[in-house]
Amino acid sequence: MKRIAGLTLLHVCLLAGACFAAKVVPEAAKPGEELARMADVSGRYGGHLTIGQRSEPKTLNPVMATDAVSREVIGRLMGDLIEINRSSQQTEPALAKSWKISSDGRTFTLQLRKGIRFSDGFPFDADDVVFSFGVYMDEAVDSPQRDLLIIDGKPITVTKVDQYTVRFVLPRPYAAAERLFDGLAVLPKHLLEKPYREGHFAQAWSLNVRTSEIAGLGPFRLKEYVPGQRIVVERNPFYWKVDNENQRLPYLDELVFLFVGTEDAQVMRFEAGETDIISRLSAENYNLLSREKARIALQLADMGPSLEYNFLLFNLNDLGGKKLDDVSKKQAWFRDLKFRQAISAAVDRESIVNLVYGARGTALWGNVGPGNKLWINQAIPHPSRSIERARELLRSAGYKWNSTGQLLDASGQPVEFSIITSSSNSQRMKMATLLQDDLAHLGMQVHIVPLEFRALIDRVFQSFDYDAAIMALGGGDADPNPEMNVWAYSGTSHLWHLGETHPATDWERELDQLMQQQMVTLDYARRKKLYDRAQQLIAENLPFIFLGTPNILAGANNRVGNFHPAVLDPYTLWNTDELYVRSAALENAGVR
Amino acid sequence: MSYLARRLIRAVLLLIGVSALCFLFTEMAPGTFFDEMRLNPQISPETISALRSHYGLDQPLLLRYGRWVKSALHADFGYSIAYNVPVAPLLWSRAKNTLLLTTTALLLTWLISVPLGVWAASRRGGLLDKAVTVGSSFLVSVPELVIAVGLLAGAVHWRILRVGGMISVDFESLSTRRKLQDILLHLALPALILVLCETTVIVRHVRASVLEVLDAPYVQAACGFGITPGRVLFRHVLPVAANTAISLLGFSLAGLLSGSMLVEAVCGWPGLGPLMLEATLSRDLYLVIGGIMFSSLFMLGGGLIADIMLLASDPRIRREGSDAQ
Amino acid sequence: MRSKTAILVAALAGLHLILLFAGFVAPCNPATQDRELPYAPPTRLHFKDAAGFHFRPFVYASTRVLNGDQAGSYQEDRTRAYPVRFLVRGSSYKLLGFHEAFVHLFGVVEPAKILILGTDGYGRDEFSRVLFGGQISVAAGITATFIALLAGGILGSVAGYYGRWIDESLMGVTELFLSLPWLYFLLGVRAFLPLHLSVLRTFFLLTGVIGLIGWARPARLVRGIVLSSRNRNFVLAARGFGGSDFYILRRHILPKALGVLITQAALLVPQYIAAEVTLSFFGLGVSEPVPSWGNMLSALEQYSILVSYGWLLAPAGALIITSVLYGYLADALHSG
Repeated sequence: MKRIAGLTLLHVCLLAGACFAAKVVPEAAKPGEELARMADVSGRYGGHLTIGQRSEPKTLNPVMATDAVSREVIGRLMGDLIEINRSSQQTEPALAKSWKISSDGRTFTLQLRKGIRFSDGFPFDADDVVFSFGVYMDEAVDSPQRDLLIIDGKPITVTKVDQYTVRFVLPRPYAAAERLFDGLAVLPKHLLEKPYREGHFAQAWSLNVRTSEIAGLGPFRLKEYVPGQRIVVERNPFYWKVDNENQRLPYLDELVFLFVGTEDAQVMRFEAGETDIISRLSAENYNLLSREKARIALQLADMGPSLEYNFLLFNLNDLGGKKLDDVSKKQAWFRDLKFRQAISAAVDRESIVNLVYGARGTALWGNVGPGNKLWINQAIPHPSRSIERARELLRSAGYKWNSTGQLLDASGQPVEFSIITSSSNSQRMKMATLLQDDLAHLGMQVHIVPLEFRALIDRVFQSFDYDAAIMALGGGDADPNPEMNVWAYSGTSHLWHLGETHPATDWERELDQLMQQQMVTLDYARRKKLYDRAQQLIAENLPFIFLGTPNILAGANNRVGNFHPAVLDPYTLWNTDELYVRSAALENAGVR
Repeated sequence: MSYLARRLIRAVLLLIGVSALCFLFTEMAPGTFFDEMRLNPQISPETISALRSHYGLDQPLLLRYGRWVKSALHADFGYSIAYNVPVAPLLWSRAKNTLLLTTTALLLTWLISVPLGVWAASRRGGLLDKAVTVGSSFLVSVPELVIAVGLLAGAVHWRILRVGGMISVDFESLSTRRKLQDILLHLALPALILVLCETTVIVRHVRASVLEVLDAPYVQAACGFGITPGRVLFRHVLPVAANTAISLLGFSLAGLLSGSMLVEAVCGWPGLGPLMLEATLSRDLYLVIGGIMFSSLFMLGGGLIADIMLLASDPRIRREGSDAQ
Repeated sequence: MRSKTAILVAALAGLHLILLFAGFVAPCNPATQDRELPYAPPTRLHFKDAAGFHFRPFVYASTRVLNGDQAGSYQEDRTRAYPVRFLVRGSSYKLLGFHEAFVHLFGVVEPAKILILGTDGYGRDEFSRVLFGGQISVAAGITATFIALLAGGILGSVAGYYGRWIDESLMGVTELFLSLPWLYFLLGVRAFLPLHLSVLRTFFLLTGVIGLIGWARPARLVRGIVLSSRNRNFVLAARGFGGSDFYILRRHILPKALGVLITQAALLVPQYIAAEVTLSFFGLGVSEPVPSWGNMLSALEQYSILVSYGWLLAPAGALIITSVLYGYLADALHSG
């Protein structure tokens, strides 16, 4: 009954509306089709929303795409076996309606939904899953996502049990393994097997792909691509989610991705009403928009602290063999824990939050901030800024001050070093300027060197020719596992000391053990204890001096219904299947 | 004729030189396309080096240069790492948009500056002349960025013109007449910015060169003989003053592809500018080199056309050329 | 005509003097941060209060009021008036770079501040920064102009005088220079430099780069003049009398070029100051906390800042004033 009403409403809209383009109508449910019901979602059909993107997507190929912008679009076209609900940060069944984990935690048997079809009507079954994972793990394809499926150097194996059952076997138990599946799109075997076998998979699904050759299990499918301007995606009539009234999602007829450019251009076009949703605003732009709220009907959301952590990093790498005497001399200071503790005590984190994040941010003393409610260690102390304590620490470590207030080390050398940071990130540049002033209170002479982003990466990862750097990590997932490469001693993001063949210090050894253990512990409470201890070690030994994290700020036109931005990426786009356009009458009445 | 041949040879040599230097410069700039992935803790360095060799980025410089030249001869100009398509068609699709913007701005600029400059010079010291001098002095001192952002902020605030992009979202559903209207509305702001920036420079030069000729003795003589001021202007002064104007036109033509990068970036016009900027920052090597070669081509072409026009219009150069031989 | 040139020269000289003595004219140290006063608007000067009209202006202290959702706003604390005094003792600075001094042209007693052009994002006085920034920017422009004209003048004369293939190759090289991808070159240069350069070294790098890119146009101009003079009678006569090439160039041809070069100088200085602004975007300018008009304007890259805190456009205003003055000077020289 409700569904017929919904379809009638849709037809009325079609007739009443002045649209010229043919709108895609959701398919009636077929018997035997196992749809996913979203119990608390409701809305109305029709309309389109426009989203501004920072740059252009480069490809529509889920396996080869490396940049965030392409993934924004691809994520709307593709479906995953298991999804992470960005609001609750927990996993939910998606294309896999249920799964069983073996007692040793290594075998996942997933039951796929029956009767589901791709956006071109072709049926979906376990063959597509096996094919997809085969492509991801094929070395010849060189997918960046391959590493996600390699644990301890050994790949995950995928086997088809029957037409709707797939088995994954992990080389060893892996905590929260089901989170891996979010983002690993299921590819249509009927369309992609040919390019794969012929060896030109990387060229498949470029932006110029014909709409008949691309299909997915996501809420939308490709409609058109205008080079340099926009990508338009339209409703997938076969999408397998329905709302509270059993109406097939998505509500929107179309979603338009507009290539807008810098954040400023985004704000301007959002203000002008050309885009409907804007995410990751800076505090100044957020304040600018809230001042405009009277003039333009907007809804703004401050979602609280993000998962990213910004930090000051000192170069503790092994420089033997490289001709970097300047840096080697300074490492004597950097390696001294009291030196780093003094710096941490002198940092004015409150000003960072106020001046850099416009009071919409949080100071950090560890790698997990309050935005990550499940994993934060609340027992870590948050000492307030104290120049006296910093001076005490330095004094006890053998440093002294000369008559002009300059800090000298035990051998009489003035303490002077440079901090590199990315010139394109104005927030970190600001942090650097504030830090420079803070450390001047200690008598240290600090130089700020803005470098172009790739030059910075080159120095931090390759040449090690730097003293200190301000960078940011994190923000991927709330779970600790993606952070393994930062804290494991052999990890590729173990930035302060890359390329360790064995742990350089005792605490790093303990940290490594803790991280390895939590990775294979399946019980949340036990993992939390291990990770708590890891956070404590990190906060005490300061491989990074943590500075702060911004809040996630997003905004949307009042027309947008079901706007629920989240702290996890993609902040505003994770529920595009639930977004709908409010009617003008309701909007004018000010109803949210 | 041999002058033309010499210019052509020089142009070809120049293009080769530019391409070689480009490769050299890009080698010097640190970092590669895949460096951004290093920051992602979930991608291993093995994958990154595999990707690098997949695209041939770890091969020696000379080998890469050789392969690129071969690709250039096939009119592909290499492969874009980010887009995974050949560079030339990608560049051309954007260059069309840039050319639309810059040729419109060029036409408007010259249609405004030449009459304005000539008029101001002919009524030297008058109200119009003063207005033109003061106005252009002021505008010329304002950096292009400030003009662009200022006009953009104004357009957004007062909701006039269409801000950003080249066409509206519902472009396909519009009638042909409204399609044209839509493009023009979007074109207005970036073209306005370009016209403002360029007119000031050209008006000054036109005015200065006309003034210079007006001071020449033969013009005074012509006036003394009773020839009407209008005829003196059009028959005796302008053809000579055209010399500078043609050189300037050459510069304008040369900058057709490269001069609008800033405006395109600020206004979101889908031209070559934003594409090149992003490619440069993300080290999409062959796209950058292709773009530079394209711009150089235009630059050389513009200079060549200007030189030909100069040759055709100024008999003194023709004579000097033949004298020197 | 003459008097107009004289007025312009005087105005420019005055401008440069103010910049030279920036430490004296500026009330504050350009690097001192006041984190309680970010983005403070310019202090209002008052002449009238409850007691009546005063000839000596006074100011009120500013306090920041934070109100929940929005950014803070500033209010005047009217409980106490701080008169503006002249020739006051303030923070120390180096007069002309070597003599330590304490006297400033004007100022007020703490805790009030006289912020003629407001503050930037760190609470640093914008007016003081514009003055100190001008030192770097204008000096860079003048030095770069000198380098470009010197290099261009020499190379252009050689090309014009000796002609034929030297000329052709030189013109080819200038075309090459104009077509090159300078963005990459700049990125590459930055990578080779040691991580920290002293302010002086950065300054010379800046001027060197601008001069290097900019010598092409003056070279072409001088070449044009030398070419046209080359075959004139007086040159042929001088050669007939046995004058060497260098003598002829120096004594007969270059004086003609000098006039053009001086006009070029007046035109180029503001252009090169603007070039410094551009280079600062690429991180090749002086770095924090030393101000230059370029790195001050780069903070305005963000639209929200541009729209909300208009007083930060002061360096652009200073740039425009300087450019207009130089432009008028160039015009006066050209027609004079």
